[in-house]
Amino acid sequence: MSTETAKKEIDHEDFDPKGTLALILLYFVILAILWIFMYFIEFLGNDLTVIG
Amino acid sequence: MSDALESGAPSFLDQFPDEAKLVRATLWSAFIALILGGLFGIIQTLHRTDILRVMDSSYYYTVLTAHGVLMVVSFTIFFLVGVFTWAVVRSLDRPLVDIRYSWTWYGLMVVGTLMAVVAVLGGFVDSTEMSADVLFTFYAPLQAHPLFYGGLAIFLIGSWLAGVDWFRAWYAWKREHPDERIPLQTFMALTTMLMWYIASIGIAIAVVVFLLPWSLGLFDEVNALLTRTLFWFWGHPVVYFWLMPAYMLWYTVLPKLAGGRLFSDPLARVVFVLFLLLSTPVGIHHQYVDPGIAEGFKFIAMTNTMFLLLPSLLTAFTVVASMEYGARRRGGTGLFGWLRALPWARPAFTGMALAGLMFAAGGFSGMINAGMNINYLVHNTLWVPGHFHLTVGTAVALTFMAATYWLWPQLTNKPLFSRPIGLLQVVMWFVGMALMSNAMHVSGLFGVPRRTAEPEYQGFDFTPAFGTMNEFDMQIAIGGTLLFISLGLFIGNVVLTSFGTKQSSLGEDLPPALSGPSDSPVVLDNLKLWVGIALVLVVLAYSLPLASIISRGGLFGPGVGTYPMIVDTFSALIESVAHAGITETLAQFEVGVIVQ
Repeated sequence: MSTETAKKEIDHEDFDPKGTLALILLYFVILAILWIFMYFIEFLGNDLTVIG
Repeated sequence: MSDALESGAPSFLDQFPDEAKLVRATLWSAFIALILGGLFGIIQTLHRTDILRVMDSSYYYTVLTAHGVLMVVSFTIFFLVGVFTWAVVRSLDRPLVDIRYSWTWYGLMVVGTLMAVVAVLGGFVDSTEMSADVLFTFYAPLQAHPLFYGGLAIFLIGSWLAGVDWFRAWYAWKREHPDERIPLQTFMALTTMLMWYIASIGIAIAVVVFLLPWSLGLFDEVNALLTRTLFWFWGHPVVYFWLMPAYMLWYTVLPKLAGGRLFSDPLARVVFVLFLLLSTPVGIHHQYVDPGIAEGFKFIAMTNTMFLLLPSLLTAFTVVASMEYGARRRGGTGLFGWLRALPWARPAFTGMALAGLMFAAGGFSGMINAGMNINYLVHNTLWVPGHFHLTVGTAVALTFMAATYWLWPQLTNKPLFSRPIGLLQVVMWFVGMALMSNAMHVSGLFGVPRRTAEPEYQGFDFTPAFGTMNEFDMQIAIGGTLLFISLGLFIGNVVLTSFGTKQSSLGEDLPPALSGPSDSPVVLDNLKLWVGIALVLVVLAYSLPLASIISRGGLFGPGVGTYPMIVDTFSALIESVAHAGITETLAQFEVGVIVQ
């Protein structure tokens, strides 16, 4: 199997990494959801922790 | 037929046979450490989850120390020196200055490793007093045999000399190319080594000035907070020392595998400069719960740590954009559709891409660790090993294994034994780690401690908000087993490749970046400037905390005795009150003391 076949040249100016932007935005959305999830699990799901 | 055969270029072995031999030796050393480390990994996984116990729990810390040291010191750093040697020689297109010198630093690293590992394994032999059950962090007052500290020091010196070797090669190249920019891979190796030199000041002082003489009996006690702070002076930048070769592979090899080229050379340089500047003045974020360090110093460390997110996010952008460029060249279209055009059948590509994906998840748990307030919720829980099995255990280890599939044929002139097995192996690592790390994170949230053979203690139940503790234990055990099988497949594939028949023209070129070095400011290559700023930042972050620790406790105190005395004291206490009904409480306390 070859990965070197059927490649087209794309100039620096012609390449707009929109897919990368979409993936990074998706990552930020996931991060925000995880933060909210942490809040529910850690603060609302547990009793107060008393040390000492 | 592989791409390599079609490219027809001379391999690294053809061009630089002496250096290829050295790189193979370093990688073999890394793989041997990986095998042993993996063996200790599966033993502790099955022991801790109470699935299979092949040893008494009293040996748990020997196993844990061996796993930690072999994986994150030996495996990672041997691989680093190998891949950096390859990268420097390849990108400068000239051999090392003196190969005998190169074998000397490799020999020192081997000797150092053997000394430390022998000391650790001594913990299994009851007839000898030699042991080093001090875990990867070797906090005083836990004390190891002098052989352990001596081995660490020699290993460290070996790694320093390796860096000198690459600087010598660069100076030699610079004389022949006075007006040229530093080739990208060499730039990455050099900036990483400069970071390493600054960071290792802490560990060198901790080991050579305090811990080694203390273990030799030259003095009775050390300032535990001081040696601990010096450890983390090195202990955080070392995680970037593991990561930088993986970053180098993501920046320079992964885009090629994806069918394209690096999106931006200047951005890559900026990222490595930022790591040189910011890796060291952050170590105190590992000590948020340490008494004796003022909250203000911890806050400064936290702020610096959050700045470290910048180069990681820059990397996410640059590497993913490079992959997208490759995918679009291969005919990929759409906002997400281009992902399908990537070469997922290639284990080298898939392994690195999955490693990057895991690193994104590790970024999230790392942000939790780095936050001063929320760190208290996860500190010393199983969350923390869950985090670093995503970063060093996958982002680094899986990238190294995937890169081996691409690099090994060029070092041996033997094509990879099996691509399908390679693909299965990298996917199995990803799935195994997803299971194990997820369960570790969740367990940690419910307070399950790290670093103990008996996480349930006695007469105590953890109450998860969802699922059961048994489910989490099963996830950890199944995940750990998949990882161990994956490791076996990797080693088997490499060994069988080595038994293959030699072929010619297995070399692969790395294409230049889309936006080349000429687009970046020349000041980026001014290494002296960046070292100067890095040192200033270190002085700002560490001078006051260290002065405060020393002024309060002195260089060698306040002493608390060494590890066996503490345990003996509590054991005696437990025996004396055995019938007083508070045995369980004390037993828990004892485990807590050892874990701390």
